[in-house]
Amino acid sequence: MFSYNFKYELKLLFRSRWIQLLSLILLLLFGFSTFNGKQKVEKRKSVIAMAHDEVRENDTKMLKLLDSLQRGMEVSASPWTLPTRPMAVGNYYPRVAAMEPQPMAFVSTGQADLFTHFVKPTATANDFAMNFTEMTSPVQLLFGSFDLAFVIVYLLPLLIIAFSYNVLSAEKESGTLRLLAAQPISIPNWVLQKLGLRFFWMAVLVIVALTIVLLIMGIDILAEGKLYLVLLAMVLGYMLFWFVLAFLVNLWIGSSAKNAVAMLGLWVLFVLMVPSVLNQLGNTIYPMPSRTLMINEMRELKAEVTKKQDEILDNYLRDHPEYAINDTTQKRSFWHRYMASQHLIKRELEPVVNTYEEQLKKQQRLVGRLKWVSPALTMQESLNKLAGTSTSDYESFRAQVVTFAETWREHFMPFLYNNQEFSSQDYSNLPKFQLTQQSFSPAVAFWPLLLISLGLLSLGLLLSKKGHQKFNLISS
Amino acid sequence: MTTRTFIKESKEMMRDGRIRIAFIIVILLLGAAVWISMRQYQNVNARYEAAKAAEREVWDNQGKKNPHSAAHYGTYAFKPKYPLSLVDQGVDKYTGTSIFLEAHNRNEAQFSAAADQTGLARFGDLTPDFVLLFMIPLLIILLGYNSFTKEREMGTLTLLKSQGISYWKWIWGKWTALFLPILLITSVLFLVASIVLSNLQDFGVFKWESLFALFAIYIVYYIIISNLVLLISAKAKKSGISLVISLCVWIIACLAAPKVASNFAEDRYPFPTRQEFAASVLKDKKAGLDGHNPWSKESKLLEKKVLEEYGVDSLHQLPFNFDGYRMQKGEEHEAEIYLKHYNHLKDQYIQQSKVYRNLAFLSPYLPTRFLSMAVAQTDYATHWDFADAAEDYRIATQKFLNNNFAQNSEYGNWSYQADAAFYKQLPNFEYDPPELNVILNRNSSNLMVMGVWLLGSFGLLFFIPKNL
Repeated sequence: MFSYNFKYELKLLFRSRWIQLLSLILLLLFGFSTFNGKQKVEKRKSVIAMAHDEVRENDTKMLKLLDSLQRGMEVSASPWTLPTRPMAVGNYYPRVAAMEPQPMAFVSTGQADLFTHFVKPTATANDFAMNFTEMTSPVQLLFGSFDLAFVIVYLLPLLIIAFSYNVLSAEKESGTLRLLAAQPISIPNWVLQKLGLRFFWMAVLVIVALTIVLLIMGIDILAEGKLYLVLLAMVLGYMLFWFVLAFLVNLWIGSSAKNAVAMLGLWVLFVLMVPSVLNQLGNTIYPMPSRTLMINEMRELKAEVTKKQDEILDNYLRDHPEYAINDTTQKRSFWHRYMASQHLIKRELEPVVNTYEEQLKKQQRLVGRLKWVSPALTMQESLNKLAGTSTSDYESFRAQVVTFAETWREHFMPFLYNNQEFSSQDYSNLPKFQLTQQSFSPAVAFWPLLLISLGLLSLGLLLSKKGHQKFNLISS
Repeated sequence: MTTRTFIKESKEMMRDGRIRIAFIIVILLLGAAVWISMRQYQNVNARYEAAKAAEREVWDNQGKKNPHSAAHYGTYAFKPKYPLSLVDQGVDKYTGTSIFLEAHNRNEAQFSAAADQTGLARFGDLTPDFVLLFMIPLLIILLGYNSFTKEREMGTLTLLKSQGISYWKWIWGKWTALFLPILLITSVLFLVASIVLSNLQDFGVFKWESLFALFAIYIVYYIIISNLVLLISAKAKKSGISLVISLCVWIIACLAAPKVASNFAEDRYPFPTRQEFAASVLKDKKAGLDGHNPWSKESKLLEKKVLEEYGVDSLHQLPFNFDGYRMQKGEEHEAEIYLKHYNHLKDQYIQQSKVYRNLAFLSPYLPTRFLSMAVAQTDYATHWDFADAAEDYRIATQKFLNNNFAQNSEYGNWSYQADAAFYKQLPNFEYDPPELNVILNRNSSNLMVMGVWLLGSFGLLFFIPKNL
């Protein structure tokens, strides 16, 4: 019976041109979305490369200037920009702190359009006012990008629905169900086989289409073999979930149109409703404190600090006896007072600023716990993780940049408070930014999706066996 | 005949359990969405008022200091939320809410809500515009997909034909039966919105005609969707197929087209990255007058010009402090550079808007979305307006401070301090969003596209499916 079903199903799918149509749609969707994703990744790479080039150029200039100054030559730059002044190096010759795209970044735009991929923290930069958002049109952020993740999370289930909503009901509607009932196979088994075969064919088409598209786009899937397999496994797991839903709906609900309505209701629930409700929930349980009120707090503190600059400097130097220890001149300029005040402001504001990241982390944890409610959400989150564009990736980048900014600033403090000049020998000791990627456990989405699907499937089979007569498909 | 068709269809709908459930779900969603938006509006605005007052107090009480130190200390412009964001939140989530106004620099609005949220926020929020733009069209599809196909499937089509029914009247009856519940639900939503809005404290900002305009926009949108759904139902052979086609249209119009449009727009008219933008501004700035640098070539030129103008031979003899004067000239030069670069950015944005408009033939969703945001004052154009107003205020503030510095001190006196009372004389930052007629004028092409969709879909519905 199975081999018969297999042959018949393949013939049917070919003759009704389902396979041809589906291949075409899949190629188009995968092609367009991968193209978009790849374009974004390339832009990201070139922007970062340009930033590195710029730093290299500036550094050459700086070294030349230093060289001339050390030889006692006259230079034409304004005195306060001369790289012998440590604060000038700290402010005018910053390093690039960049977040290079991951190999699978083309899969999902995630938060990549919202945040910038490199910053150049200066010695006087306020850590909490550092702007990590990118200059994007908000309309684009609102609409989002047509990326591979969108095709997989939103559109693939719809193709599955169109492919499977009337497997049983069509037989009923065309009157062939009676013939079928006369065959030596139970109806649930028959539907299961039929949908299983359709899942098989669709999986083949998806894998083939995706592989072709990636090869054409020049993405080296062999080099990223493991990640590519992870992507395929996740997609198959997600498809399996929707096929299982289709199976249950086919068994329990009646006519073709009713099936389609039910499946679409589920789609709307999982893809549109659950994410927005969860988002609302996260915002309600862990509300973000107001940024405008944070600004107020910061401003008041700043106003206060400016009035007491000298006192602050004295305190600062008392706390840091290591600075200024080798300084015989004891000269104090604007920068000495300014940096000491900044230090104080930072220390005072740190708890306020940290609440944002903490609340965000709490929201993130809540989402992590509840994301299983919607496989669409699970899938999107995992694809973002795979692409390295998830919220937590950017959060970790931000944290690392803030640490680096601190290192950068502290690097110049001994120079400043010792009134020591920056020289070309010190150049090689300048700190450099090195991003450590988050560890990512790739199979994380696949197994739960498989588990959910199999759980639903066995539940469906169990219930349908128990109440077999209840379905009484023929008379209804 | 029209009324009979209408009565029969309406009865059928009311008796259908699925439709009752769908209606209840949509009403519940709308209720929750309105409630959430209302709370958010009140929260945001309470904070806005508090922040605005606190910031002004900090400014007023900064005490005796040099006006240019005050200029560097700067002030903030906060963006309020407008009452109609209750109906459409637009791009509010993605635009910053506060602009730091300081000497020498035009800053971007900072702290967008989306940057402080998890990736979930990108799926969308439970807001009235989500229900209005996405869910109600789905409801229309659910109500209307089998309007004609069921006659065929139940065999009543032959009966109808024997009645000698006029095709036009029949369609008209079906159309009214489909549209009336939608009109009802939309009216209820707007009624609730108007009750909530008229109870708001800052009622003055809210305009009734804007609410009516929004109502009209959504009604036209639903008419277009109803026409399309009925057209598909009349042409399709089976209910299932009709449903699937209608849903494809919905997905393309509401989900795929906007994303495709945004990819096209970004590809053809990209925004610079923040760093690129800053770098090109800096380059232009370096080429011109810097108020802090008296040794540059441009400063010397300015010195010469001013000395000649006043017929004196040293800066000390000028009737004002030249430091302050140079500071102001530098500020004016920098403002010009920012204007140039921001105008380039604005050009890109205008070109992008054209891309969206050109793709509106794929989707009635696009013009509706843009019109709705515009009328609700939550679109990108309003944000630009606000940012420009803040920039004007920044320039005026710098002038106010530099003039005080120039007129009340002599050249070289950087220790000059203006009185504490002086800072209180700075006018407040006031911003009024554009009026409805200005908004509609700006969006005339979107209105036209919607008009074409409206007439076109009616034309298709009444003239094409004669082969029933």
